[in-house]
Amino acid sequence: MSDVKFTYIQLDGAERTVSVDEGLTLMEAALFNGVDGIQGLCGGICSCATCHVSLDPEMYAKLGAPNEGEAEMIDALDNHVPTSRLGCQVHIDALLNGARVRVLGVDA
Amino acid sequence: MSTQTAVQDDILNQPQIYDPYEYALHDNPYPAYKDLRDKYPLYYNRKHDFYAVSRYDDCLAVLRNFKVFINSKSTTLEKEVIPGVLPFLLAMDPPEHTRLRHLMVDQFRPQNVAPLEAMVREMARKLLAAHADKGKIDIIQDFAAKLPMAIICKLMGVRSDDEDMLRGWTDDIVHRDDGSNAITEVNIAGTQQLLGYFETMIQGRIARGETGDDLVGQLMEFEKADKLSHIEVLGYLFLMAIGGNETTTKLIGNFTYQLWDRKSERDRLVADRSLIAGAVEETLRIDGPTQMQGRETSQPIEMHGHTIPAGSKVAVILTSGNRDDRHYDDPETYKIDRGAKDHLGFGGGLHSCLGAALARLEGRVALEEMLDVMPDWEIDLANAHRMHSAYVRGYTHLPVTFTPRSPQ
Repeated sequence: MSDVKFTYIQLDGAERTVSVDEGLTLMEAALFNGVDGIQGLCGGICSCATCHVSLDPEMYAKLGAPNEGEAEMIDALDNHVPTSRLGCQVHIDALLNGARVRVLGVDA
Repeated sequence: MSTQTAVQDDILNQPQIYDPYEYALHDNPYPAYKDLRDKYPLYYNRKHDFYAVSRYDDCLAVLRNFKVFINSKSTTLEKEVIPGVLPFLLAMDPPEHTRLRHLMVDQFRPQNVAPLEAMVREMARKLLAAHADKGKIDIIQDFAAKLPMAIICKLMGVRSDDEDMLRGWTDDIVHRDDGSNAITEVNIAGTQQLLGYFETMIQGRIARGETGDDLVGQLMEFEKADKLSHIEVLGYLFLMAIGGNETTTKLIGNFTYQLWDRKSERDRLVADRSLIAGAVEETLRIDGPTQMQGRETSQPIEMHGHTIPAGSKVAVILTSGNRDDRHYDDPETYKIDRGAKDHLGFGGGLHSCLGAALARLEGRVALEEMLDVMPDWEIDLANAHRMHSAYVRGYTHLPVTFTPRSPQ
C-alpha cells in the first residue's frame, strides 16, 4: 500500500499535513495522527457524525456522492455544507493526494 | 523530583474505594464513581494493581489515545488472559485491528442493520406473547436473554436449538468469583467449548462444500480470499457471540429498571412513541451495560500529576464518565429526551462497539413491544438477581408483573 499525502485544516485553522496508507478512512487517519476536532466516537459505523469534514468542491465531486445513510446523518447536522462528508465513510486512495480536508466537528 | 515522589506516595495511599471485582460494589457503583471523579481522578487499586480514570474527558482521552493505551495485551484488568483464547478485534491494535474491522464494519452500519427490524420484532412479540395472559415474566430469563442471542445466532447461522448452549458458554467466559480477578476453569472450559462449536460448524460446512451467506459464511469467504487467517475467523465469531449476547440483554434489563424507577418517564413513552429511541440512548448513558473497559499502557504517561508506568493496566470507567457533571447537566437524572449523542455507552474511538446499531435496534424494538404488552410493569426487586462482573452491569433475573392481556 502506498502513502497518500493530504492536509487537514483543524477547527482553529491550524493545518496538519499527513501521509497515510491507502485503505484507511479520513476518520482513522485523523485519529492516527492526532488531528483535533475529529472524535470518531462510533468507530466508523456511521452513527455519530463526530468525524464531520468538508472538501473542496472538485475533490468532493471526484469522490462520488455519500451513500444514503451518510447523507441522512449529514443533513441532520446544523453546520453541514454542500461538500460535507463523514470522515469514516471516505476511504483514502491516491485521489486524495493533495486534498484539503476541513474539520467541521459537531455540536454534541 | 521531590514533588513527584510526594504525588507517587499520595496515589499509593488512596483509600481503596473502587474494586470492580467485589460483588458488593455491583448493586450501586455510582456513589463510588462520583467519589473517584471528585477526589481521585487518577485512582490506583493496590490489590489488583491497576489505575482507573473516571471523568468524561479522561475516559475519552484514554479511548482516543490508542497508541499509549493499547488493547492488544487484553481489554481486561486481569494479569493473564484466558488460555486458548484467540486474537479478536477488541484485543487488537492498528494496523491489524483496522484490517479486521474494515472487513465487517459495513454490515454493522445502521442502514444495513435496519432490514433486520422485522425479524427482531417478530422474535420479541413471540417471546412476550407467551407470557402476556399470565401478567408476569422474568424480563431477563424469558425475554432479554433470549432475544439478542436469537438474533446474533440467526445472523451467524447457528441453529436455534443451540442458542441456550452458546449463551451458557458466553456467560461462563465472563464469570469472575467474588473479589477475584483470577481466570478459572469455568472461563477456560467456556472458551474451549465456544471455539470448538464454531470450529465444528466451519468444518461441517467445508465437508459439505458450502459456506453460506450468514456471518460465518462471510468470514469463511474472507479466509478463502486470504483476508483473514483461520484463527482470526474463530476470534471474530468468539467476539460476536459474546458481544451479541450479554450486553444487549443487560441493556434491556437496565431500561426495564430505569423506566420503572421513573414511571413518569415511562408514561411519556406510552403517550409518545417517538421518544423510545431516546430512552434507550439515555439508558446507555446513565446505566450502560458496559461499565468499564481495560487498557494497558505501552509507554509511561502523565495524568493528573502522576506518571503511569509502561505496562500498567488502566480501567476506563465509561459509565462514570457518562455521569460526570463536568460534562453533562444534572447527570444522575434519567431523562429520556436528554439527547446526549456523545455518551460513552458503546465506548468511543477505534474500538467503539461494532454492534452498536444492532443493539440500538434490538433495544428500541424490545421496548416498543414491552410497552404494547405490559405498559404498567412492576418489578419484584426482592427477587431480582444481579450479574457479577467487573465490566458488565445488569440483572440475571428480573421478575416483573403487569396487567394480564387476553391472547389475541
